[in-house]
Amino acid sequence: MTGRDIFIVCNTVDDLGGVQRWAHRTAELLTGRGHRVTLVGIARSAEPHPRRPRAPYRVVTLHGPWRPPALAWRPASAWARLNVRARLRDRWRTAVQRRGAERLAALLRAARPGGVVIVAQVWAMEWVRLAGTGGLKVIAMSHESYQAARASSRYRRIWELYPSADRMLTLTAEDADAWARAGMTNVDHMPNPLPFSPAARADLDAPVVACLGRLSHEKGVDMALEAWAEASAAHPGWRLRIHGSGPEEEALRAQARALGIAGTVEFCGPAPDAAAALAQASVFLLPSRQEGLPMSLMEAMACGLPAVAFDCAPGVRELLTDEVDGLLVPPGHVPALAAALRRLMGDGDLRRKLGDNAVAGVRRLHPDTVLDRWERLLELLHRDEHDFSS
Amino acid sequence: MRPDVSVIVIAYNDAARLPRAVGSVLAQSLGPVETIIVDDGSTDGTGEVAEQLAAAHPGRVRALHLPRNSGGCGRPRNTGLAQARGAHVMFLDSDDVLDRHACLNLVAAAEETGADLVSGRCVRTRPDRPGDRGHAWYPWLYARRAVYESITQNPDLLYDTLSTNKCYRRDFLTACGLSFAEDVHYEDLLFSTQAYLAARRIALIPHRVYTWHWQQPRPDGGSISSRRAELRNFADRLEVHRRIDAVLRARGAADLKLHKDAKFVNHDLLLYLRELRGRDADYQRRFLELAAAYMAELDERVWQKANPMPAIAAFLLGRGDLEGALAAAEYGRGRVPELLTELTERHGRVYWGRLEGHPAHPVLDVTDLGIHTAPPSRVRPVCTLTRLRRCGPLVLMAGRVHNPLERIPPDAEVQLTVEFADRRRKGRVLSVPAEVTRRKGWLQWRACFLPSRVLRPWGFIDPVWDLWLRLSVNGERTALRPRPADETVLETELPARPRLTRLAGDRLVPLRTRQDRVAFRLTGRRLRHRLARRAVRWAAATRAGRRLWRRIRAAEQDVRRRLGSQKTKQAVYNRLLVRLPIRKGTAVFESRMGACYAGNPRYIYEELRRSGRPIRVVWSYAGSPRGFPRDARLVRRGSWAYHLALARAEFWVDDHGFPGGLRKRRGTTYLQTWHGSAFKRMGLDHPELKRAGRAEQARFTRMTGRFDRFLVRSRHDVDTLARGLGVAPDRLLPVGYPRNDPLVNGGDPAELAALRRALGLAGRQVVLYAPTFRPGRGGKAAPLRLPFDPVRFARELGDTHVMLVRPHYLTRVSLPPEAKAAVRDVGHIPDVTPLLLLADALVTDYSSIMFDYALLDRPMIFYVPDLEEYTGRDRGCYFDLAEHAPGPLLREEDALLAALADLPAQRDAHAARRRAFAARFGEYDRGDAAARVVELIFGGGDRDRT
Repeated sequence: MTGRDIFIVCNTVDDLGGVQRWAHRTAELLTGRGHRVTLVGIARSAEPHPRRPRAPYRVVTLHGPWRPPALAWRPASAWARLNVRARLRDRWRTAVQRRGAERLAALLRAARPGGVVIVAQVWAMEWVRLAGTGGLKVIAMSHESYQAARASSRYRRIWELYPSADRMLTLTAEDADAWARAGMTNVDHMPNPLPFSPAARADLDAPVVACLGRLSHEKGVDMALEAWAEASAAHPGWRLRIHGSGPEEEALRAQARALGIAGTVEFCGPAPDAAAALAQASVFLLPSRQEGLPMSLMEAMACGLPAVAFDCAPGVRELLTDEVDGLLVPPGHVPALAAALRRLMGDGDLRRKLGDNAVAGVRRLHPDTVLDRWERLLELLHRDEHDFSS
Repeated sequence: MRPDVSVIVIAYNDAARLPRAVGSVLAQSLGPVETIIVDDGSTDGTGEVAEQLAAAHPGRVRALHLPRNSGGCGRPRNTGLAQARGAHVMFLDSDDVLDRHACLNLVAAAEETGADLVSGRCVRTRPDRPGDRGHAWYPWLYARRAVYESITQNPDLLYDTLSTNKCYRRDFLTACGLSFAEDVHYEDLLFSTQAYLAARRIALIPHRVYTWHWQQPRPDGGSISSRRAELRNFADRLEVHRRIDAVLRARGAADLKLHKDAKFVNHDLLLYLRELRGRDADYQRRFLELAAAYMAELDERVWQKANPMPAIAAFLLGRGDLEGALAAAEYGRGRVPELLTELTERHGRVYWGRLEGHPAHPVLDVTDLGIHTAPPSRVRPVCTLTRLRRCGPLVLMAGRVHNPLERIPPDAEVQLTVEFADRRRKGRVLSVPAEVTRRKGWLQWRACFLPSRVLRPWGFIDPVWDLWLRLSVNGERTALRPRPADETVLETELPARPRLTRLAGDRLVPLRTRQDRVAFRLTGRRLRHRLARRAVRWAAATRAGRRLWRRIRAAEQDVRRRLGSQKTKQAVYNRLLVRLPIRKGTAVFESRMGACYAGNPRYIYEELRRSGRPIRVVWSYAGSPRGFPRDARLVRRGSWAYHLALARAEFWVDDHGFPGGLRKRRGTTYLQTWHGSAFKRMGLDHPELKRAGRAEQARFTRMTGRFDRFLVRSRHDVDTLARGLGVAPDRLLPVGYPRNDPLVNGGDPAELAALRRALGLAGRQVVLYAPTFRPGRGGKAAPLRLPFDPVRFARELGDTHVMLVRPHYLTRVSLPPEAKAAVRDVGHIPDVTPLLLLADALVTDYSSIMFDYALLDRPMIFYVPDLEEYTGRDRGCYFDLAEHAPGPLLREEDALLAALADLPAQRDAHAARRRAFAARFGEYDRGDAAARVVELIFGGGDRDRT
């Protein structure tokens, strides 16, 4: 069956986060396959990013910027129940949420049979559940590793909201297995499609190491700087370019100065065109503490960059095979990270070999392959009950 | 239209639960699923229920009926299979249920992988236990999704012989002609093995697909497969295994047969053996006959392949030794295994059982399991109650604690108390001390007491009292439960005086529990006792009574748990205790988190006493107070007294860290002495912490932020250890380690001579082997496995050398008796400094002991077969060992023995490097550290800084 009504629901759809980039990309690809896609944002983003004005799919946002409390109120004790202010704020939240859910319900009611609601984030799932989905199948996604979810409040919320979904999707098979072991029986996995088809490949001769990501603790740029201090001494002339912005920026600049590497580290700010930034580098560095299926790593591999990464999540292992298309080091092991960087900086042939393999390896995430997987899943969910007596 | 899956539900006299099973199929998230109910000649209306279900869901549910009961699962499943129309087939028993997504997950995996057979996780739950979340059946097979082209890629699949948690491609079953055997029980085993063998591809998914509702078998039957009480059941199982053997033989699959045999020994046989003690003598005799015959058909290699204890059990069954086999089958059942057999030492090896004229077969060799060196707290000895008598007003109890191979050494300090423990209230005990006399191979215990003083239960709320023995060997405590030696022991009743009311009873009557232990029940024979008991029972059985009783029990347990928990203690400490005034001149000392009296805190304490300063010292101990100084107050780590002492102390001194959740108040000075310089990366430099989130890192720095003073031995410490732990430079005390003072000054000759005598080292060169630990399972340190053969050392160098093996304090080692003459375990000596002084040479790997020993300027050898692995991947190091090591880095046993054989050559060859090493890492160790620390901390000059 072609031409399904598909709703992709995210917390927000108008900023530059990884999930948002995934949502727009998937909406565009599914539209290309003849589906009628509606991209639903629950709330307007606090830092909206202007995006392609004429998307080939419908984009709807249910609320303005979200002002009520982010999460429902959970009094921890009998004493906390007496908190009148929290109670009132929670009432406010419920009322606003209900209005949004009604808007969503109106959208979903118009869908034809065979439709699907894809919920990309657990917060958005609250609205979907309130709205009711009728005959539509619900697919709930977790765009992070099992370990990362486990360490956050999302773990409990996922257990509340996702078991009732028709399918839960993680980014990698390893994460799906971890959820299945924990008892989530509807879980399967669906990789992210490649975010773009790169025009040019990096020539791998420029003495530049690129690092791309938000400057926050979980992205581990502080460890990148420490490793750089160890590695760059042996390779003068090489530069570390850090693309991105975030709350840790000042602290990181100060750390670079303290380590005496301010001269070889460039803070370039956010990169609007990742492909262009990556094409100028010869090595990609991913020092994250937590990851899902990192888009920046996929982009770097598509550009033919050899990568050095901490083996911090199944998503990283899924993309990179140590010594084949990149170098993986144990998470948090800064000396090993520095040693791997030194190896790549000093060996052009190794860079080229790993880069070639990276381009070939990341091909399995080609949009067509991923879309075929989506189509198979949608077909499986919509196989109907029959009378088998005939 | 063909369904994707046909689920065949078989039912026999199960009208009540059949709708639940069928409902779980109808609720499947996969649409095209049909249900075929096969009623196996039921007589309780199951057939009608099946027809009703079929009528309610026409076209989706069909009901088939067998004319008469087939007595097994084979025929009904075959009947359903013949009628199935789906692309895939699954089987479901009427008392179990499928997970809602079972079909979807299995079919999706089958279509994605093209496998003939897809298997998912089965979870076994006890429906009679509300709230039971169940446990997975062989979860290690189902840890992650997998695809095998053939069973030979993962023969462990043979462990999961259930036919129900699997989804079979129907064409595959038809093409291979697979069906269930109808004339024996355990047809599952045969069917699954055949299916595994025939499948071209097998896929596994970690999702739960099947919930098995398992019930304790009732005496009158219960589910077919759990009726192990009938001997025919065992005969059937053997018959099925013989048929499987035939199938495997026909395929020439000898290796698979070996795997299957190992599974039989590890799993099937153990199931029966563990229930055998409760069977009558006739059953046991015939069981032994059947089993012994089949043991002869096992592959010879199975003794190495199977797990050690099941292999011993099976081997002894083959020899006709039922007692030995039962002891092996029951070993390791509880958390702490119980040693129910004798051990025999022969040619320096340790064997299970008495041997009694048999040759010492390698399968019985348990030397490497370390049972012979394990303390009673790790491997419980068997104990018995041999006498229970009343002599006048007194009660006399006596019994034995078995002690094969003198595991409890002759010079050990042994204490024993007899305890009557309230079964319902953990920790409520009535206890009497017992006297112990040593015999060869066992200990005799004897207790004599006045029952009117001791036996004071409450009455009604505590009807059952278990008998325990609390054994303490060198301060290490173990709780044992005696077994009655014979029936006559349990004939004496003990007088008891309940505290609440005499109506509850007047005597404790001994009884034998189901686990063959001794317990006592509070009863009375008089009419008033019987009436009162009946009244209480009646009241407790009413609905209100039950509810009230349950609430009271829950509240009682809750209060007990909360009051004793560390969380409560920490909260009280942080909010209340730290507001009490500080007691000037008091100090809390702790070493290795209370494990022993050793290390830097010990040497500071001794200096403190020598200097005569009026400091009141409290020492904390974790396990036993044995070995701690008598002139200090002792508190158990984690107790209320411990928290109170910490809250009010003016000084804290320790070498690891006081519990992280405890606040250090401003008026307290915390001297953190630490326990060694760093080779491996520490604290914030450790990858585990480096990769952690902000909150965890902050928790660590909060903990180390409590240190007011931190001892360092060199500038290396300042740059590595202090930085890694996040200690500010102004808090460092560059005075060296007090525990290393004797290494510089030479130590106490009398003490050293005594130790040398105690260890029997006279006339030989002493080699100390002190490696660091390796991480094991579950975050704990793995037991030390020597990376060289100690027997070879004893054979080749034993005449001239003695090796002292000192495992890291987090772990332990077991040495074979053959090496006894030349290799000694010195893990039990808490303080390492005298050992360093005794040693003529040190062999280590990455332990920080190298920094201390270097001060002695004696030969050091680094035995590092895993250098790259350890320093490269695991955690990272602060410097390159090969570059700075003050001795050779060796990787082979031959090289190690050669180096040890000629120690003078070692002394000369590395002298310069050794001195450079000592100068670099022991910069501040000058032999006066203890005195300087005491002066700086307790001397008065430094108090006002905090």
